[in-house]
Amino acid sequence: MTNRIIRAIDTVSFWKKYETIKKRIMSCELKTKERIGTINPIFTCQPAGAQFASIGIKDCIGLVHGGQGCVMFVRLIFSQHFKESFELASTSLHEDAAVFGALKRVEEGVDVLLMRYPNVKVIPIITTCSTEIIGDDIDGVVLKLNDGLLKEKYADREVYLVPIHTPSFVGSMITGYDLALKDFVSYFAKKEEKTNGKINLITGWVNPGDVKELKSLLSEMDVDATVLFEIETFDSPLMPDGNHISHGETTIEDLRGTANAIGTIALNKYEGGQAAEYLEQEFEVPAIIGPTPIGIRNTDTFLQNLKKMTGKPIPESLAKKRGIALDAITDVTHMFLAGKKVAIYGSPDLVIGLAEFCLDMEMEPVLLLLGDDNIGYAHDLRIKALQDSVKFKMEIVTNADLWELENRIKNEGLELDLILGHSKGRYIAIDNNIPMVRVGFPVYDRAGKFRHPVVGYAGATWLAEEMANAIFADMEYKHNKEWVLNVW
Amino acid sequence: MIKDMDKKTAEEKMSQLEWYITKHCLWQYNSRGWDREIQNERILGKTKQILCGENAREDDSTADKYYWSEAMTLTGAFKRYFPWLEETSKEDIAVIMHMLKEKMDYTMIKGSLNVELTKEQY
Amino acid sequence: MPYHQFECSECIPERLHHAVDKNPGEQLTDALPLGYLNTIPGSISERGCAYCGAKHVIGTPMKDVIHLSHGPVGCTYDTWQTKRYISDDGNFQLKYTFASNMKESHIVFGAGTMLKSNIIEAFKAFPEIKRMSIYQTCASALIGDDIEATAAEVMEEMPDVKVFTCNSPGFAGPSQSGGHHKINLAWLSQMVGTGEPEIFSKYVINYVGEYNIQGDQEIMKDYFYRMGIQILSTFTGNTHFDDLRSMHRAQLNVLECARSAEYICDELRVRYGIPRMDIDGFGFEGISDSLLKIGYFFGIEDKAREIIAEETARWKPELDWYAARLKGVRICLWPGGSKLWHWAHLLHKEIGVDVVSVYTKFGHQGDMEKGISRCEPGALAIDDPNELETIEAMYKLKPDVIFTGKRPGEVAKKIRVPYLNVHGYHNGPYKGYEGWVRLAKDIYNAVYSPIHRLALLDISKDEIPTDKEFETRQTLSDVKLSDEIKNSAVLRQCTSSYDPIPALREKLKKNESYLFPDPETGELRKVPVEKLMKNKVVDVEQ
Repeated sequence: MTNRIIRAIDTVSFWKKYETIKKRIMSCELKTKERIGTINPIFTCQPAGAQFASIGIKDCIGLVHGGQGCVMFVRLIFSQHFKESFELASTSLHEDAAVFGALKRVEEGVDVLLMRYPNVKVIPIITTCSTEIIGDDIDGVVLKLNDGLLKEKYADREVYLVPIHTPSFVGSMITGYDLALKDFVSYFAKKEEKTNGKINLITGWVNPGDVKELKSLLSEMDVDATVLFEIETFDSPLMPDGNHISHGETTIEDLRGTANAIGTIALNKYEGGQAAEYLEQEFEVPAIIGPTPIGIRNTDTFLQNLKKMTGKPIPESLAKKRGIALDAITDVTHMFLAGKKVAIYGSPDLVIGLAEFCLDMEMEPVLLLLGDDNIGYAHDLRIKALQDSVKFKMEIVTNADLWELENRIKNEGLELDLILGHSKGRYIAIDNNIPMVRVGFPVYDRAGKFRHPVVGYAGATWLAEEMANAIFADMEYKHNKEWVLNVW
Repeated sequence: MIKDMDKKTAEEKMSQLEWYITKHCLWQYNSRGWDREIQNERILGKTKQILCGENAREDDSTADKYYWSEAMTLTGAFKRYFPWLEETSKEDIAVIMHMLKEKMDYTMIKGSLNVELTKEQY
Repeated sequence: MPYHQFECSECIPERLHHAVDKNPGEQLTDALPLGYLNTIPGSISERGCAYCGAKHVIGTPMKDVIHLSHGPVGCTYDTWQTKRYISDDGNFQLKYTFASNMKESHIVFGAGTMLKSNIIEAFKAFPEIKRMSIYQTCASALIGDDIEATAAEVMEEMPDVKVFTCNSPGFAGPSQSGGHHKINLAWLSQMVGTGEPEIFSKYVINYVGEYNIQGDQEIMKDYFYRMGIQILSTFTGNTHFDDLRSMHRAQLNVLECARSAEYICDELRVRYGIPRMDIDGFGFEGISDSLLKIGYFFGIEDKAREIIAEETARWKPELDWYAARLKGVRICLWPGGSKLWHWAHLLHKEIGVDVVSVYTKFGHQGDMEKGISRCEPGALAIDDPNELETIEAMYKLKPDVIFTGKRPGEVAKKIRVPYLNVHGYHNGPYKGYEGWVRLAKDIYNAVYSPIHRLALLDISKDEIPTDKEFETRQTLSDVKLSDEIKNSAVLRQCTSSYDPIPALREKLKKNESYLFPDPETGELRKVPVEKLMKNKVVDVEQ
């Protein structure tokens, strides 16, 4: 009798151990990069984010207070991604300024910009690591300029100097963008008597193709919105009369009006969440933050949120759009995408949204890389949901760099069918013969990706088809059942 | 003192040589005034010697070898570009080269507006 | 040469002395733009920073080195993949960039120990790499981190590694040029003379100021090897760290980009007596003169003449095909520091184009002296140009093509002027005889682009021509040509392959074409290819 009981207890404890081990192997783990240094960064630093926000505003030229490289290289990466040039200026920190302080260069920079660019109205003063370390008081200098130079020399001009603190040793380009966006909104938002009947749509760090698709969805639902930022015009044309600089179209009136909206939807928690919360706290503009409308499910939720906020119904035309997307996606899912192991890196909202969509499409996102050390990721409900529900081995690495991905492939046996990420990781795909779909920022080694959405139903279609086509090209190069496609 | 040609012709011919150097040479642009003096002296000096059939090597040093290689290349180019050198007497060549050196010393050193020339260190 | 007043810069009168119009009969002594001065804040200048000049331009082309920036990630991110300095052994320097990832706590409490951990981490991740360069950034310089001390500590504990430290934060100078200067002198003082190379030829040079953009260095290396010349080191394209430790043993420093590397040449001359010979690796006549000069120096001018004859015969008919069609094409030559003078005259003479403007982003007055000398009267020369000035110049000068950087090229595109990338090239390499033909071809394809011409038509206002279904480059370019040229049996289009470099690398690997004279006996013989790929350098006892 005792033997039977002992054997039963042994069996129970065995199965308990088995379940624990199975949970550890077959589950989604959140971890952080162990190395202290960065090898092949996923993000660049904060000032780049502030500069990306600046170029979305009409008649705005950002003045970056720091070394010339902080502007020159950011203008370069923007031009690589969009194949366009954007106006951004530098206070050109030189050796003397580094020792004695450089506020005079801010004053001079503002004066020079105003003299030579008669249309400029908004000049954000964006700090960098050097000027934050030196301790230049840009808030103070803005007050000084407002009372001094602007009153004396530019009394008849509308000029707004917006101080933005974005040192590079904090956060990343993502936090820089989030912060700058909030600074612009908080600077301009002005409560009026009546609401303006619009919603604020804070898109996050997206492409012109995304803005186009979002506006199309809004238009189908007959929703009037202030889009922050209106960057559809980044895809600017080559015209006979020459329009040599690309710029965004968000106006000061748009920014002022955010205080009077009937609500704010911030699509990306980490790229606009702060501004939405600010509007809610200061002006009681109700905010809905997230989810990033990547994939069918999240787009459904977005439309649902629009309906909730505006009372407008979701029209049949959108059901049809959704249907077209579903039709396209189901063509490729269970035959080709199911079971495919994917690694995703880039901005957190993009990565999480893509992971969720991949799961819906039967894929296995086995590795997510979030590129900065934001402690909020550990508490993000979406990440918690992944940790709870995913039953295959999945890793989410925070504070990650691209070596975390490459090292796993090269030295730890990670096998992948697909990589989703921006172009800085291209050699990982090239050298390891893994198909890669370029998403996020920056994408410079493919033509025209910024013109396509990753959000909305059109974005879901585009993503699914890009992934399928990448896998198809790979099948052909590797002669891996390429004949299957003869009659698909 | 000019033998077979007048001053104006000599100047005109000097200008031609100067034009070639201006368009094709880099040795005259070293970054300090004192350095440019030495370059002009040694390279133009040897060029004159070679054009006049004189020995243009001072010693076996690599420095001398360097100035000589510049001068040899320059001389070859001068002969290709300016066939009149063939018919010019050694005395006139010496005068033209002297004028050339004076002009180059002026343009590249004495009259140069390049403020970095007067710095002492590199 | 009157100074050139830009309308858009009337309000910043100090700009007046930064641009001149070269008029006929005028001399350099009449007017010379100021150069290498502090930038005017807010002017939207083209300049970058001193960290870029040190780390990106000169440091990172070294191919077997971990390039670690001590600071936050942005600096290293910006200078990763953004320049085309390739190497012949896998492009490690293009693929991997390292940052110590400074955070706020390091700013407050210092970052010395974290840097040391970073160094060890990096070497651990890439155990086959034994060399490292650490670059100071604005952040680490301002908090006063002593990176040299940390590097010394590491080298003490890990005797098989060498660590070079470069103190050139972004604000260390008005432009990239400040960084060039700093890294030149730092390399000289820390590394030159610490290694003894194996000398396998009677003729030994350093090839200085050459960064192997798209394979430039490998094209020139082929010529030097054909002459039997050992390239002890290239500063710094396609080069090993250790090769550059042995620079002091060269007999001659062949200098291309004087702007970025004349400093180390001048100092090597002072300290070791190695002459500095400035050359042009671009243009048929430029290369021919350069090879001949080097030939004379070593007494092998006949070998130089052989190569000159062979290459000229091979490529001139192709160059002339384009030159016939590019006569009078207007070009703005707008590079960073050297190409304004490397290219100005020979573009005009050998490809037939008119260089209507030259500028320099970060050059000194010396670069302007060279550039203005070598361009033709009528040209506008600008120092430290800013965006409004270049737009004003483009509208005024109406060029047919602009040679400039990638981003300003986008501005040119909008003014309906095609651009060619003067920094990283379009379809380079552009050095060598073959390279010059490739440049001519790129100019031709840019200028006679039918699609580009369509941008000049306003369909909402202009008469829309409906008589043509298409144009070709040749229908556009041959319109004014004589029948003799059009039907020439001699002239032909460029036959250079998409990438000429793999063939050169094959040639080197096969090792059948290069003979070097023994340093003692002078006897010509082959040198083992392993030595040609990576020379043996022995540590000098300190």
